[in-house]
Amino acid sequence: MGIQKDKVRFNVGGRIFETTATTLANAGRNSIFGAMFDENWTLKADNSEEYFIDRNPDCFAILLDLLRTGDLYIPVNIPEKLIYREALFYGLLDHVRSAKWGPFDGNRLRPSRSITGRAPGDGTAIRAGPDGGCCVADGSMVHVYDWMLDEHAPITLDYQRVNDVGWIDSHSILISVCERLGRGDGGMGLFSSSTGELRYKFQVNHENQVKSFTAGALSFSSDYKIFSSCKGRSNEYGIGVWDQVTGKQIDFFYEPLGWSLGDADKLQWLHGSNCLLVASLFPRKDNCYISLLDFREKKMVWSWSDIGAPMTGDEKRVRDAIAMEENSSICVVNEYDDLGFMDLRSTAGSVRWSSRSRLMKGKMPEETCYPKLALHEGQLFSSMNDCISVFCGPDWVLTSRLRRSYGGSICDFSIGGDRLFALHSEENVFDIWETPPPPII
Amino acid sequence: MSNQKRRNFQIEAFKHRVVVDPKYADKTWKILEHAIHEIYNHNASGLSFEELYRNAYNMVLHKFGDKLYSGLVTTMTVHLQEISKSIEAAQGSLFLEELNRKWNDHNKALQMIRDILMYMDRTYIPSTLKTPVHELGMNLWRDNIVHSSKIRTRLLNMLLELVLRERTGEVINRGLTRNLIKMLMDLGCSVYEEDFERPFLEVSSEFYWGESQKFIECCDCGDYLKKAERRLNEEMERVTHYLDAKSEKKIISVVEEEMITNHMMGLIHMENSGLVNMLLDDKFVDLGRMYDLFCRVPNGLLRIREVMTSHIRDTGKQLVSDPERLKDPVEFVQRLLDERDKYDNIITLSFNNDKTFQNALNSSFEYFINLNPRSPEFISLFVDEKLRKGLKGVSEEDVEIILDKVMMLFRYLQEKDVFEKYYKQHLAKRLLSGKTVSDDAERSLIVKLKTECGYQFTSKLEGMFTDMKTSQDTMQGFYASHPQLDDGPTLTVQVLTTGSWPTQPSVTCNLPAEMSTLCEKFRAYYLGTHTGRRLSWQTNMGTADIKAIFGKCQKHELNVSTYQMCVLMLFNNADRLNYKDIEQATEIPASDLKRCLQSMACVKGKNVLRKEPMSKDIWEDDAFFVNDKFTSKFYKVKIGTVVAQKESEPEKQETRQRVEEDRKPQIEAAIVRIMKSRRQLDHNNIIAEVTKQLQLRFLANPTEIKKRIESLIERDFLERDDTDRKLYRYLA
Repeated sequence: MGIQKDKVRFNVGGRIFETTATTLANAGRNSIFGAMFDENWTLKADNSEEYFIDRNPDCFAILLDLLRTGDLYIPVNIPEKLIYREALFYGLLDHVRSAKWGPFDGNRLRPSRSITGRAPGDGTAIRAGPDGGCCVADGSMVHVYDWMLDEHAPITLDYQRVNDVGWIDSHSILISVCERLGRGDGGMGLFSSSTGELRYKFQVNHENQVKSFTAGALSFSSDYKIFSSCKGRSNEYGIGVWDQVTGKQIDFFYEPLGWSLGDADKLQWLHGSNCLLVASLFPRKDNCYISLLDFREKKMVWSWSDIGAPMTGDEKRVRDAIAMEENSSICVVNEYDDLGFMDLRSTAGSVRWSSRSRLMKGKMPEETCYPKLALHEGQLFSSMNDCISVFCGPDWVLTSRLRRSYGGSICDFSIGGDRLFALHSEENVFDIWETPPPPII
Repeated sequence: MSNQKRRNFQIEAFKHRVVVDPKYADKTWKILEHAIHEIYNHNASGLSFEELYRNAYNMVLHKFGDKLYSGLVTTMTVHLQEISKSIEAAQGSLFLEELNRKWNDHNKALQMIRDILMYMDRTYIPSTLKTPVHELGMNLWRDNIVHSSKIRTRLLNMLLELVLRERTGEVINRGLTRNLIKMLMDLGCSVYEEDFERPFLEVSSEFYWGESQKFIECCDCGDYLKKAERRLNEEMERVTHYLDAKSEKKIISVVEEEMITNHMMGLIHMENSGLVNMLLDDKFVDLGRMYDLFCRVPNGLLRIREVMTSHIRDTGKQLVSDPERLKDPVEFVQRLLDERDKYDNIITLSFNNDKTFQNALNSSFEYFINLNPRSPEFISLFVDEKLRKGLKGVSEEDVEIILDKVMMLFRYLQEKDVFEKYYKQHLAKRLLSGKTVSDDAERSLIVKLKTECGYQFTSKLEGMFTDMKTSQDTMQGFYASHPQLDDGPTLTVQVLTTGSWPTQPSVTCNLPAEMSTLCEKFRAYYLGTHTGRRLSWQTNMGTADIKAIFGKCQKHELNVSTYQMCVLMLFNNADRLNYKDIEQATEIPASDLKRCLQSMACVKGKNVLRKEPMSKDIWEDDAFFVNDKFTSKFYKVKIGTVVAQKESEPEKQETRQRVEEDRKPQIEAAIVRIMKSRRQLDHNNIIAEVTKQLQLRFLANPTEIKKRIESLIERDFLERDDTDRKLYRYLA
């Protein structure tokens, strides 16, 4: 270290701060303080032994406190954005982000903000990014927000209809769109999240010929593969697989006769069993088809469908499905927000409904959104109308309900970067839910 | 008014675009450029970090990021080109040192530049997908220095020369070498692989090709292996000292290929020092080294195993077919055991107790032991020898070890039932003559046989032991009920169960009167206590102790066979007897009588009889006298019967025939067992299954099995299928 004593004196924008080198060391090497006190640099202190920094002293005080205590406290009279900018200058933006909200817990969520968009409503999908940002697909546009909830340049995709979006990493977004008839467009593209530029277009090959296609639901695996349901022009339906690193198509699982893969509503990669869950659901299809694909053996290792199932009086149609590997089961939900479970270990599965929400029946709003499911670290989330229910434990007990008063039904929600984003359908509003930082004591 | 000119008002936009001083960017960049120069010139002490950081920040903030970035690339390139010149100018060995020093300088400078441009690295670079500063510095170094035409090959050659010098025993500056190779690794995997690893492997391959040629011409096998092992260790050490850990596998496989794989056969078959010589001379260390080295390469162990197997088979074959060896069965078996111990030792000490080698050893022994049809007999004789006298004074554990080894050989035998036959005979002799050294050892061996071959195999052998015990009790009972017999001759009878013992049907000879009355008394006693039994005398198997006085006072106790006793007793009443007289009086079968007379009249030291005329063999018109001049320093004299210890040719035939006869019911039983469960089966499968079932006892001959099937068909156990003649059916 270039300094003799532990005590350090700064003059920031005319105000004197005294702190210790130990406190500054909390900033890490990749910050201005880390570089400043590296032995490469012989620090020149002014005659009064202080180091001058030409920045806002109020913000410096807040950030210095962050380094001292690890907690972020922003007084009401200072805009958050100012703090972010200063933090970016000092290289402390990551410190700010991790101090701003705590580790995710579905039962401790608090609404943090609501963002109103410009679109007329009825969004397609919302996806949480890995660092706390999110993107919203609306018809033929995708709006991208970083974790500070600043909106970046929207992605327009030549105004083709967006089917699904997903984050590859915090810098890139994958978007699947409909094929435009008569043109070779459509398919799947990789975009920069900060500038909205198209970086790569994924292609489908059938018998060594590039074909145009409509890409549907997306999923990613930890070994850098992309999965997408695909509909080609000449009945080339199925699931395509691409390599994230090379961008090349590496596999294609063709849809078997009498089954549905290319129209899937949901794909989910299962790390433990190396399989892909594919669910095609009502009302996109007349029947529901849920299957697990093993790509190494090119086999459908598990499947369930409600074809030929007797229609009971209170019709229950599966509207979303999610595989829970730890429990070796698949959870499904119907339009009454009833949860159903299927055992992955037995092949002839039937749905075991747990009818806890019978109360809902009879007071259904006219225009409803389809329920959605999500799983996060052993907590199961299910959206219905304008609220999200949280279920925990082996018996999936309802433990919390998240509800905001305006915006209408929730049409999609997503968990990621320790945040939950809920997109409402009537107004183009999405809510951000966060777990507060841990209490002081 | 009409021609009043209209004035067009130009309304200026309210908000002016704030124009930054156009020279601002240039000015700021000049400051930063100067700083970069100073950093490269080791003159950074005069720089203010805060100021530089702020300037770089401002440039990015005011959208001059691309100017900053391209300026950085240009400035850094200029410096690196200068550096490149100064490195090129370095002479001889200073070249590497200069390169290393400049590399360290560059790394330090790059770190400082990155510190200044940290804000650009964090914001401008990710959003424009440009190369981050550190990586950029590495790439520029690679392109301007390492890939410069005047440096690239020079660096490679010097590095390879360093390695070569170290291989030839010189001490090199490992630290410097490590730093430079680390530099190549830092520049990326592909740089290290292309600019060093690949040529390094090629040169190494050439080097070891040449060296192995040299070694193979001037070294013997053991030395060669020692050198190869040392080279392998050296290369592994080299990798840990200054190469990438990923290279270890590659360079080791080069050495293995050149030093071992290419010379495998040459080494194994090397004259006077190859594998066979190592085996012969018990070179455990060399063999161990060969094993360790050869197991690294594909098929290495296979080659060793093949050569070892064929060597064991050849020597074993010589051993079992050498007529000299066949003269002494004990020596023969001892040689087999020694041979096995030798290879067992080699496998344990040198071949890592490798299972595949043990299997090879076992199969080789099985192969050659069964080449000699007399092996079962010899092994039984060996046991006989050991249990008669060989084990005297040997501790219990050692006995167990010897027996275990014998069992090992026994396992190799295909004709286990032949062994059983001989073993039974030998055991009977031991038991009846009371010659067995240790009852425990006998029983222990039987237990071993039982675990090996099952209850059936040993039930008769155990029966023999039981008979011995019961006979003792019977004799006690007999004398207890006949107390008046105390002063006459003592009779000891062993009652043998028919079937358990290898008895030959024999004609009972005429016993002397004293004896035959005693025998009758015993018969009466025995049949009196056990009803429904038959007792017949096996006089050919008995022994007798008789007291004799030669000349005046030469008193001796003679231990003789029953036949001999009968003959000698005749001389109580006569001085001279003709062969014919003796034959008539005793009714001993001619061959036995001849042998018995021969042993009493023709063996030196045991010649209690005299014969006229003197000759080695017995003729029908010979006459016999008591030899008054018989002397012996012992009081007790054992007169053995002249018996060929090994079987004579006809006896052998007989045993063989008996074995064959015994096998018939076993084969039939096996066929019936199989057919009973299968109901119907074709010919080949029956043969296969029968062979499998019986192989624990003997190797069944297919023609014999066929004969047995025919016989079973005749007796209506089986029938042939009407359509498929090869198919048999079981008739319940």
